[in-house]
Amino acid sequence: MAIVAAFLVPGSPLPYVKRDNPSWGSLAEAMEAAGEALAAAKPDTIVVYSTQWIAVLDQLWQTRPHVEGVHVDENWHEYGDLPFDIRIDTELAQAAMDEATARGIRSKGVDYDEFPVDTGTIVGTAFLNTGNERPLVITSNNLYHDWDMTKTIGAAAAAAADDLGRNIAVVGIGGLSGSVFRHGIDPEQDRLASEQDDAWNRKILGLMETGDADALEDLVPDYAREARVDMGFKHLAFLLGALSGGFQGALVHGYGPLYGSGGAVVELRL
Amino acid sequence: MANGQILAGFLAPHPPHLVYAENPAANEPRAKGGWEQLRWAYERARRSLEALQPDVLLVHSPHWITQQGHHFLGVKHLSGKSVDPIFPNLFRYSFDLEVDLELAEACCEEAAELGLTTKMMRNPKFRVDYGTITTLHMMRPQWDIPVVGLSANNSPYYLTTEEGLEEMDILGKATARAIERTGRRAVLLASNTLCHYHFSEEPVPPEDMSREHPQSYEGYLWDMRMIDLLRQGKTQQVFEILPQFIEEAFAEVKSGAFTWMFAAMGYPEIPGELHGYGTVIGTGNAVMEWNLVRAGLAEAA
Repeated sequence: MAIVAAFLVPGSPLPYVKRDNPSWGSLAEAMEAAGEALAAAKPDTIVVYSTQWIAVLDQLWQTRPHVEGVHVDENWHEYGDLPFDIRIDTELAQAAMDEATARGIRSKGVDYDEFPVDTGTIVGTAFLNTGNERPLVITSNNLYHDWDMTKTIGAAAAAAADDLGRNIAVVGIGGLSGSVFRHGIDPEQDRLASEQDDAWNRKILGLMETGDADALEDLVPDYAREARVDMGFKHLAFLLGALSGGFQGALVHGYGPLYGSGGAVVELRL
Repeated sequence: MANGQILAGFLAPHPPHLVYAENPAANEPRAKGGWEQLRWAYERARRSLEALQPDVLLVHSPHWITQQGHHFLGVKHLSGKSVDPIFPNLFRYSFDLEVDLELAEACCEEAAELGLTTKMMRNPKFRVDYGTITTLHMMRPQWDIPVVGLSANNSPYYLTTEEGLEEMDILGKATARAIERTGRRAVLLASNTLCHYHFSEEPVPPEDMSREHPQSYEGYLWDMRMIDLLRQGKTQQVFEILPQFIEEAFAEVKSGAFTWMFAAMGYPEIPGELHGYGTVIGTGNAVMEWNLVRAGLAEAA
């Protein structure tokens, strides 16, 4: 099997840039635990889908061998810079693009100096790619792709890795419930925006822990609508597509609020 | 210094294709032209802007999206290379701009005074979004007029359209107060497309104009209806049907710049001058001007 590990992690920069705040700090510790688990699985490459890399025309894949720079988050710019230094597994990226295109998802590579890498990708891989040891494949969230198309993209990436004999970790970067506090709060008082959101998130995480992928998929439309889930939870669709729908259970390394929205660090058991 | 005034407002959409087609030295990719009607529209708008001699350009862009409040560029000098995440093949632009810090801070303060959540963006490594840069380039490629950049808070998408646009109305009124207080002679730029239905595939080459036309006939009809009303100066009627236009034409004015600009100008019932209309990958784009000096609502330099 080409997939040796799978994770669902939040893309908010808050645990990374402001971990001295207790609730965000606990998510940072969870991310570090996930990073240790990923390293122990010894993947050759980490394949990342981030809800914050927005595409419109095609499915975009990063194909520049080395991307580095400093990003500043559009909303949380006061908390400092997000430096990044990312190596891309270009052979696998190209193969995944070809495979996705063959499956009906028009794909395109981006190979441009100073292309804006999104906050979610930077933060997620900073925690998970410990020591910056592994190359990545990074792909985008096309706003017009639905759940099934996103599963196809995940499946294409996994098939391409299989063909190349790569062991990969797959990572879906995005949030859970999406209601946020729109005005300033004391970060130490951060909490889920509503009890309903919290209940929904816990229910979904519970289903992940049982490994009941079918029940999970059945509930996602209601969950996405009622809890305003980040991008319809397509980051989970990517993972399920890569895993052919199945996993044995999950370890929730952490769950908590991110300015009212929900974030969880989840390791899927394969 | 006091008694500043708004000289004009422009609807100044930001398809990066227009910069690409013009082949400025600041942009890396090269084109064989394209979208001439819109680029010539901007040429007319540039001449009008030149005559106005403003102290500052204020631009509200839908591609600087913020969730917690309305943000303002708050660093005196910002430079770098802006690469469009959607069209990196067309737009890789080296920018270098000066911010009118006093006015930006005044806008931030006045908006907070009126009850909005606001924030100054003080990080010098911040990369200015391509919407802001495209609109500013198309209006003033010399980059010799200081700028105030405003983010698009996502309230029209997070709340209802009407609730979100109410915030933009307040933001516009706060902007007007700040301009008056600081004594600036200001021009407002609303960086918005009209109908936003677009094609899902890009022609090769992108500037192949034989492939360019409205993506949606219904969207085109909506654009013409709105432009016709704006050309007649029927501003109140435009804002009465704006939510329906947004809903049915997937109009980008939902993001707030258009409402912000008109609120700042006091919703004048004066005819807008259409410099030109054209589509870009099927979206509807109008370059329009409301010249308050010509209308006798502001004083000439």
